[in-house]
Amino acid sequence: MLAKLAKKCFPRSLWVYHCNSGACNGCDIEILNILTPYYDVERFGIKLVGSPRHADVMLLSGAVTRPTLPLVKKAWAAMPAPKLVFGIGSCATGGGCWFDTYNVTGGGATAVPVNYYIPGCPPRPEAIVYGVALALGLVDKKAAPVELKQVEFPIDMYERNKAWEERNVIYEVLNT
Amino acid sequence: MSVVAVFVNVLLFLLLAPLFEGVMRKITARVQSRQGPPVVQPYFDLLKLLGKDRVDSARNWAFRLAPPAAFASILAVAALVPLGSKVNALGARVDAITLVYLLTLGGVSVLLGALASRNTFAAIGASREMVTMVMVEPVLAMTLLVGAARGHSLGLGAAVFGASAAGYGLSTAVMLAAYAVALQAFVAKQPFDIPEAEIEVLEGPFIEYSGPDYALFRWYMMMKQMVYAWLFAAGFLPFLRTGSYVGDLLTQLLGTLLVFVAIALVGSTNPRLRIDQAVKIYAGLIAVALVAVGLAVAGL
Amino acid sequence: MWLTSKIKQVLMVARPGVVTLKYPFEPRPAPEGFRGAPHWDHTKCIGCGGCSNHCPARTIMVRDLCQEIRVLLYDGSRCTYCGRCADVCPEKAIAMTDRFEQATDDRADVTETLELFMLTCQRCGRCYDMETKNAIDKLGLTGYRYDSLEARTVIRRATDTFRPAELERTERYERPDSTGD
Repeated sequence: MLAKLAKKCFPRSLWVYHCNSGACNGCDIEILNILTPYYDVERFGIKLVGSPRHADVMLLSGAVTRPTLPLVKKAWAAMPAPKLVFGIGSCATGGGCWFDTYNVTGGGATAVPVNYYIPGCPPRPEAIVYGVALALGLVDKKAAPVELKQVEFPIDMYERNKAWEERNVIYEVLNT
Repeated sequence: MSVVAVFVNVLLFLLLAPLFEGVMRKITARVQSRQGPPVVQPYFDLLKLLGKDRVDSARNWAFRLAPPAAFASILAVAALVPLGSKVNALGARVDAITLVYLLTLGGVSVLLGALASRNTFAAIGASREMVTMVMVEPVLAMTLLVGAARGHSLGLGAAVFGASAAGYGLSTAVMLAAYAVALQAFVAKQPFDIPEAEIEVLEGPFIEYSGPDYALFRWYMMMKQMVYAWLFAAGFLPFLRTGSYVGDLLTQLLGTLLVFVAIALVGSTNPRLRIDQAVKIYAGLIAVALVAVGLAVAGL
Repeated sequence: MWLTSKIKQVLMVARPGVVTLKYPFEPRPAPEGFRGAPHWDHTKCIGCGGCSNHCPARTIMVRDLCQEIRVLLYDGSRCTYCGRCADVCPEKAIAMTDRFEQATDDRADVTETLELFMLTCQRCGRCYDMETKNAIDKLGLTGYRYDSLEARTVIRRATDTFRPAELERTERYERPDSTGD
């Protein structure tokens, strides 16, 4: 019974640990902004704590560089379950513009399992608050993949090309 | 009746302490011009912490013993205090020295837990907590001594209510001033919140605790704040005496709420002092409290 | 003096009241000129690949599927919203919208795919082959490259002037002795 009550109280009181894995500090400043009175995120019950052992959510900013990769993993392992990770900014989402450089391992997903991504460079404080509200279930998701076509082709050219590249097979379309 | 009062004490302290902490957080938020968490937020915090995993990071017995020890000591204090101006069944068998001992035992449990954490930040937090305890607990003891000197007995009823029972004397006024300043140190709010839970400067003594252990420590801190604020309201505000048990209970709880509002206002408008600056102020407080005790013994 | 200044401080904070925005529950539009997520207008795009060349995060991948179909894939997970693609587009087909609410739990949600129909040359009847003939691509790169739509990144292939024997000789190079060689 206590476990059910604790689970219900989990989204009402998220404690946040901020982990910078080699960011330029733009996203860190925006994270600081959401704790200011203007965008006050403490009204959702969110508090900034200094120790990963007290935290429920790790706010990961920065493309995970090679020296910080084991440290981010250590900080994540130090958090007690249940835990979440939010990747803030384009660097944590996919490595930013440095995704294939020599010192970057390529974004938050290479170090820890990321639950929510908040793209932006840096994301507006409203965008981070929106991401937090999305995680809490207060708003609906607005991003969706977009597909635009100039002409509608009768044959599935994409699938055929993919089959040739990946499996070296010729993709046959049966004309019914 | 006085046995029932023991359980009423424990229940009221357990259930109302997070509410007062929530009031303090809300007032701090409003002073900072922001909306702030709902007043019942600390209840959600405690419940969530109770549901988290327990990471036994130091793996020794002192680390595991400290949170239940602190919680047990503050529960004992809650059971003993004469809430509602009535010395209950347990309170009749102890005296003021036991009260000071139990409050200090809670602080020592925090120190034990912090030093057993094998973490540098916790060690620094523990050393500052030790300095604060050594300098500030004498003020509490001397408050009870003033009451005991004027009430002519070391029992709990005399020690707590004696300071204002036989009329307001000079010693009571001096002690009021000293205790009002020391109250900020007792409840660990700015400007004196250096050692405990100061997440912004250093991690404090609780850095390695997680889950239910941390919940016990937080609850311990909230109840400790309520005990000290109640002591101020009950000991120094004699016009809150109505004569009946329930009436006194309500007025004392209301007085505690007002004391918490004052603590929150002072706490949110002051910067945090360094430990060396704070020690100078504590030394001054001890001197003033000694003067008050001297005046009380002299009969003033 | 200290006490009166503190009391004045407490009274001063009562004037602005609560300034918190009710953001997720009330919309808050972006300011003028804000660079949010880019959006392609598929009626204007000619498939030149200029946006793909200029993207600093190599977020836009262009790939010819066959003679007349070119696929342009924008993968928003690495996009830095710099606006270079919109700046360089000759047809002004890319607009930096003011969408900033891009938070999601799946990175595939922030992609845009365009399928473009490429015209054939009037003389030879074939389409312009981007991967091997584009002179801009050969500048400054060590080899041919192509954009892989599946891996969502650029794949570099070795050049045809690369000789493995030369490489091995440079790796086994030793300093001459101090007695002179």
